[in-house]
Amino acid sequence: MSILANKDTHVVIQGGVAGQNAARRMAEFCYLNKKSLYVDAFVYPPDAGKTNEIAYGSGLIMIPVYKTVAEATKNHPQINTSLVYIGADRASAGGMEALNDPNIKVVSMITEGVPEKDAKLLGAHARKLGKVFNGPSSIGIISSGSCRLGVIGGAYDNLVSCKLYREGSFGVITKSGGLSNEIIWICSQFADGITTAIGIGGDAYPGTDYVSYLEMFEQDPQTKAVVIVGEMGGDLEERAAEWYGAKKRRIKLLAVVSGFCQESLPKGMKFGHAGAKEGMKGEGSARSKSDALKKAGAIVPATFGALGPAIKETYEELVKSGQVKPVADVAPVDVPKLPKSVEQAMKDNEVTVVPLIRTTISDDRGDEPCYDGYPASELINKGYEIPHIIGLLWDKRLISKQDAEIVKRILMLSADHGPCVSGAYATILAACAGIGLSQAVAAGMIMIGPRFGGAVTDAGRFFKYAVDHKMSVDEFLTYMKKNHGPVPGIGHRVKSLRNPDKRVKELVGYVKSLNTKTPCLDFALSVEQVTAAKKDNLILNVDGTMAAVLVDIGFPVDSLNGFFILARTIGLIGHWVDQKRQESRLIRLFDFLVNYAAPKRREVPPLK
Amino acid sequence: MAKVLEGPGMGLMKKWGIAVPNYVVVTSTDELAKLGEANEWMKKSKLVAKAHEAMGSRFKLGLVKVGLDLKGAVAAAKEMLGRQVGSITITQVIVSEMVPHKEEYYVAVKSTRDGSEVLVANCGGIEVESNWDRVKKLQVDVGEKPSEAALEKLAKEAGFSGGLVKKVAEFAGKMFTCFDSEDAQYLEVNPVVVRESDGELIALDAVTLLDGDAKFRHPDWNFAFAAEFGRAYTKDELDVMAVDSKIKGSVKFIQILGGNIAMLPAGGGASVYYSDAVVARGGQLANYAEYSGDPPDWAVEVLTEKVASLPDIKHIIVGGAIANFTDVKKTFGGIIAGFRKAKGEGKLKGVKIWVRRGGPNEKEGLELMRKLKDEGFDIHVYDRKTPLTDIVDMALEKK
Repeated sequence: MSILANKDTHVVIQGGVAGQNAARRMAEFCYLNKKSLYVDAFVYPPDAGKTNEIAYGSGLIMIPVYKTVAEATKNHPQINTSLVYIGADRASAGGMEALNDPNIKVVSMITEGVPEKDAKLLGAHARKLGKVFNGPSSIGIISSGSCRLGVIGGAYDNLVSCKLYREGSFGVITKSGGLSNEIIWICSQFADGITTAIGIGGDAYPGTDYVSYLEMFEQDPQTKAVVIVGEMGGDLEERAAEWYGAKKRRIKLLAVVSGFCQESLPKGMKFGHAGAKEGMKGEGSARSKSDALKKAGAIVPATFGALGPAIKETYEELVKSGQVKPVADVAPVDVPKLPKSVEQAMKDNEVTVVPLIRTTISDDRGDEPCYDGYPASELINKGYEIPHIIGLLWDKRLISKQDAEIVKRILMLSADHGPCVSGAYATILAACAGIGLSQAVAAGMIMIGPRFGGAVTDAGRFFKYAVDHKMSVDEFLTYMKKNHGPVPGIGHRVKSLRNPDKRVKELVGYVKSLNTKTPCLDFALSVEQVTAAKKDNLILNVDGTMAAVLVDIGFPVDSLNGFFILARTIGLIGHWVDQKRQESRLIRLFDFLVNYAAPKRREVPPLK
Repeated sequence: MAKVLEGPGMGLMKKWGIAVPNYVVVTSTDELAKLGEANEWMKKSKLVAKAHEAMGSRFKLGLVKVGLDLKGAVAAAKEMLGRQVGSITITQVIVSEMVPHKEEYYVAVKSTRDGSEVLVANCGGIEVESNWDRVKKLQVDVGEKPSEAALEKLAKEAGFSGGLVKKVAEFAGKMFTCFDSEDAQYLEVNPVVVRESDGELIALDAVTLLDGDAKFRHPDWNFAFAAEFGRAYTKDELDVMAVDSKIKGSVKFIQILGGNIAMLPAGGGASVYYSDAVVARGGQLANYAEYSGDPPDWAVEVLTEKVASLPDIKHIIVGGAIANFTDVKKTFGGIIAGFRKAKGEGKLKGVKIWVRRGGPNEKEGLELMRKLKDEGFDIHVYDRKTPLTDIVDMALEKK
């Protein structure tokens, strides 16, 4: 048997994310004990109407979220317990709401930092209604094998090592959450484990005191001894002593009290929990509590460290007198293992996973991103620049300083080409329609294609094809005419031999001045000589020039459009910001800019 | 529990209709002189000047001066302001009017498990402390308020008679309202005096302890809380408090002068058992510290730096019970970062570090701690199989 939380407990959790974490812990406990989850509902007004997913083993359980406790208990009449884990400013109202629900008999509050007055009101209200209010600041209540209410008991491995899958003979009551776990562990190592462990919270005025729980333990035949972990301050330990000493009790009582250090500290210096404060007249000191418990017949070891051996001794006595029959331990195979996360299982070499994607360029799992293996900060500190990063991410190589300069110049030359070209115009149109930056820039991006800025890749591809196949210009032009049509990278809408493109001149001049081998560029220029002779505007345009130069410095053909896209993004962002800065208004085409070539207005014939 | 200095404490009483003497709190003598020109009472009445800081024994230290005129008050303030007393520099002086009176009484309201207690005595000042049996009590359940009749009965029990009964009852009633409305934990006026000029009851000196947890519903608590142990908070303590107020979970730090065992344990409960173990072994605590509720690693790192910076320490106790949900690996990450930083600054020379812990990710966390040995730390790491406070025994073992 157990007290407070047992096999019949059904819980509503009042709380958001923190409450879901508690539910996950409770689900782990259920999984260990091979029983279904007894958390039936959440109450959390901001999420009302949604469902929370709680992991159970390798599956997920869907639990509804309600606006009020009343709704939860109406839909799930089996609910008899509430776990409150909401902010300190709302905890009092939440606790009252739960206490006032006729279905709910036990309310346990994890919330910390609840004002004392609120805690007292909650405690008093619960007593008036004959219900249990546990906490605030309670880590929870756990009964071996049957119920975990709250996060008490810790991680799954700890539940297993503390043998919380089967009942022992010891009850535990502590103010401290961490120490409840410690005692549960000690009871499992030095004795046969626990029946129920309760964290009552370390506040000055917990809703329920030791005595109420001692009384319940006294009525629970499975519990043979109770361990109390007390603290200086208040009079709960004295009252427990008084209860224990008042008459012959069935249960044995073991207790430790902390706060002896206070005797040698500056006056008024207060440690630990809110409730750990000595009274003005020295009442509530660790020593007076310890003495009172001893006097009442409790076993009070001198230090916390001596508690383990004392528990062991008590257990052995219980076994000797026949009150406790040692239980055989569960074979390790019978204790379910919590399914591992895929990550953990991989780490332990237990599963292999076929990756969904593969990357060969970057990795940011460390403290900073690495580009093709090189840490970004190191690249910066060693003087590398944007073109090198492009080289690493687009072609997985560290390009030379000279090639980087070429790339930089290409980007600078292509960054923008005024507002009238398709890309910029589309971005401006979008900006004037109030569209955001990324979408407006994307609108401009969409324009990049065979007729606008998108010829770099194809130009590079065909020039490279010709050079690789040692074609003559004539062979190349014939090949193109026969198989593909006009040569990408040749021809301009407005520029011509007489009105040359300054950008092309600049780039060709610079690359040529470096005296390196430029087979593609040379080929492209000789193509221009032939085409421009045929027609004035069939010159090598900026796309074709870029393409030839980039192929010459080793960039793969498929990356070439990227240089235009990257460069032009700078311009598109500029246009968007420019329109935004001017607070430009919505624009629409003027009618006089449209040739209305549609049929004149006419009568709609009757529908047949 | 949060202590409030006299000035803001009297402010709260005034808010709830309790008569207090005129007073000003100043940070400079110029300000005081100007206030003297502006306020009639400062020219007319005799004045009291007191250092307005969280410290005990002010009278003995010469930090309370009585019977002053304005000039005398300015001189007294000049003498006090900027004076260094232990770790405290006096930055504020409270100047209030002296209220001529004959009799002194005592009224207090105190938090109890079931609600509160109203305490009344017909003696005051230091007399009440030696005559505690003359203090009469009235228990008030939480959510209730004392009736006029009950308060009058209490005043009579305490030995008041005649017109004073009603006045004392009314005064105690107002004290209760102030206590209840302001989420106080302790409210004491000692002495309460009868002002000779009009026969009104005046609160001459107040002790105010508020519930810091209730701050969220008191937007007018615009004052800082003062330390309760007779000295001001140190800079390191204030730094940790600032971190504590920002995070989920908590970090706590109190310095103790003259100790050589530094504490860096986890948990509000376990930390005190660790402190007890040090004291039981004859050790001298250099501090109290505690982190709990799965605080972020950076907060634990700040706490660790403060602990590692304590002067003349020989051991650091990184203890802790088996955590419920505080991630051991994560919080130890913060501690390790703090230790490394301290070591880089030349601290922790000859300091032995003792670790014992359990909880989520305990294996990984303890392993990280063990690895510090390779970096030259004198560190000793134990897991849950070693009883809680055994590391203290090992650290303080007499050789």
